[in-house]
Amino acid sequence: MGLIANYNLRSMVVRKGTAAMTAGGIAMVVAVFVMTMAIAQGFRGALVASGSNENAILLRKGATSETVSAVLKSQLPLIEAMPQVARGADGRPLASPELVVIISLPRNSDGNPANVPVRGVGPKAFEVRNTIRFVEGRRFSAGTREINVGRQAVNRFRGVTLGSDVKFGSAAWKVVGIFTADDASFESELWGDVDLMMPAFQRNGYQSTTLKLVEPSAFESLAAAVGGDPRLDLKAYPERDYYEGQSETTGTLMRIFATFVTAILSIGAVFGAMNTMYAAVAYRTREIGTLRALGFSRVRIIAAFLAESMALAFVGGVIGCILALPVHGISTGAMNMTSFSELAFKFRITPALLGAGLVFSVLMGAVGGLLPALRAARIPVARALREI
Amino acid sequence: MKFASLVLKSARRSKRRTALTMMSVAVAVFLFASLRAILDGFDAVSAASSATRLVTIRSTSMIFSMPRSHGEAIRATPGVRDITWANWFGGIYKDPKNFFGQFAVDPESYLRMYPEIVLSPEEKTAFIEDRTGCIVGDGIAKKYGWKLGDQIVLQPGIPVYGSQDFPFTIRGIYHAGSSAVDNQSMMFQWKYADERSIQKGEIGWIVSQVADPARAVQVAHAIDQQFANSPNETKTDTEQAFSAQFASMLGNLNVLLGSVALAVVITTLFVAGNTMAMSVRERTTEIAVMRTLGFPAATIFLLVVGEGIVVAGIGGLAGAAFARAIVNGETLGITGGFIPAFGVSNANFGVGFALSLLLGVLAAVIPASMASRLKIVDALRRVA
Repeated sequence: MGLIANYNLRSMVVRKGTAAMTAGGIAMVVAVFVMTMAIAQGFRGALVASGSNENAILLRKGATSETVSAVLKSQLPLIEAMPQVARGADGRPLASPELVVIISLPRNSDGNPANVPVRGVGPKAFEVRNTIRFVEGRRFSAGTREINVGRQAVNRFRGVTLGSDVKFGSAAWKVVGIFTADDASFESELWGDVDLMMPAFQRNGYQSTTLKLVEPSAFESLAAAVGGDPRLDLKAYPERDYYEGQSETTGTLMRIFATFVTAILSIGAVFGAMNTMYAAVAYRTREIGTLRALGFSRVRIIAAFLAESMALAFVGGVIGCILALPVHGISTGAMNMTSFSELAFKFRITPALLGAGLVFSVLMGAVGGLLPALRAARIPVARALREI
Repeated sequence: MKFASLVLKSARRSKRRTALTMMSVAVAVFLFASLRAILDGFDAVSAASSATRLVTIRSTSMIFSMPRSHGEAIRATPGVRDITWANWFGGIYKDPKNFFGQFAVDPESYLRMYPEIVLSPEEKTAFIEDRTGCIVGDGIAKKYGWKLGDQIVLQPGIPVYGSQDFPFTIRGIYHAGSSAVDNQSMMFQWKYADERSIQKGEIGWIVSQVADPARAVQVAHAIDQQFANSPNETKTDTEQAFSAQFASMLGNLNVLLGSVALAVVITTLFVAGNTMAMSVRERTTEIAVMRTLGFPAATIFLLVVGEGIVVAGIGGLAGAAFARAIVNGETLGITGGFIPAFGVSNANFGVGFALSLLLGVLAAVIPASMASRLKIVDALRRVA
């Protein structure tokens, strides 16, 4: 195997122009694959990061998202009294009744209005969501028209920087703090006191309640307790599952788009690889004849040419991954069709995605190299040796 | 032209290689034409949107409603000829995945405002007279197999409409007279939804017709002025501006699809350029012989470029034709929701074909200049 591997490797170096072009084609396909998938992953990641294993979210039975859910004010004490709800240092239950409404703010980039979620939260929200960190300013004080803004929202929308007044719900709200949340979707939101948001938006109830569980395993008994209480017309979901579900519609659409584009593009690249490998086989007919005369079997020849094609594609795959890497972490935004609001997120390239890109490149090499390799193996030895 | 047969001969020299190259160009053009078609679908909506229709929504965001009295105030605004209003219903038909637009409208004025919603006079009367009647676009009617007179039941998706199911009878199946309306929506009587709504007399948005499109901006401003500093401030835009903003909410499609198209072109250039280089290299001796016979370098250059154009052009034609045959919402099964109707137009076809010619030229330029600058002596000495 040593000799033949060396032979194929060297022939690749001899044909460096052609080899580079083929690898370049495959590199482009892999780069497109990784970048488009990074969008889908970033989008999903932002929503998955919003959910924690330690939390549960309560929604109206049958509601698929917060915007179409309702939790009555009178139901909150019942929820808070449940033994599965963790308590804070002050002994108060860690539950945050919430309300999400969508307001329209101009985008920084083009000035067009975008739908931005405003979340009214309870006083314990920052203990329930313990990934929230303030990078500037402080938390809003309960009972005042102060708000906190997520870092992504500050960058993406106009007029929500620290100290500015944001006008919505027939009042002005002062931005007193800017927070991060481990890249979660909360970073695209504006947070304020739910008890002031309700009258401002003419609502008389909450939409959901998120609570911290005493321990993650307490979820089952909480779900049973919520489901069994006739005064609560609610259903409990693990917070992570809920947010993951929110990413489904748009996330799936993004993945379909990525797959469609790369699938079609890869057909072109495979044709290119095929051309190159056919040419490689044709140029080396005599050499193949020699190898066969020396006793290398047909299977070895097939394996050798397949390996050459796959190696070539792999090099392309590596280049493609490197080309795609710089987009990692770039912020972008898309409308989440489930919540009808704009979600800012970052391109996310994970090792697994790069791995998938490389496997994909090798696969393209294998498909492109198969027919030429078979042809190489079928060359009659006597005729091949006679060729100049 | 006298070299045409020579060009064709060289293209046929290695049939397999030429076919593979053609197919990769075809694939690229297919993708390019499809992406353009989808983008055009979005643009067509804003292009067909009327400049004489104004849309008034709550300034906070379109998810908030306003009292119906706003409509009457707008009707009284100078320059406004007619108004109508609608609400988003957001109901669920059997499964939340069956997503389509459902609008609670005031039937008479809505159909007057949107002549693009094409119905027969009988259907129109039947719809207006039936409190629980509805009209549906022919697109979704086909998708769900609905016929005139069918009963459909929607489960309310927004809490204001309670939790009881809403039964409807299909009184009309409309087709869209222009891209300004889609054929994927359902409209029913606003009164029916309002009866059961927790917030009575609320409307989602108001559409008004201005007499003079040149004054649309002033009228819009006058409308918003009336409600300034009230609890229900409004924001009014022409329908055109409104749908452009709506499309921009879906994300920056132009940039996304544009960069994909660029990647397509570059990939294909690699593939096609490589093949052209291969075929020129194979013919080194022939080219040297032709040069010896007196063919000028420029002719050799043109011959190679011509071959590139022929091969890529045929591939491009095939790709564009294929895209035209299968790329439309119905064949691909992606209709409804926020995706407008789309299909490969003559212009998309033409641009795709032109792109393939350009690809052919670009792919052939380097190999062609290599061929034309060939040193005859060296080339003849070489054993291929």
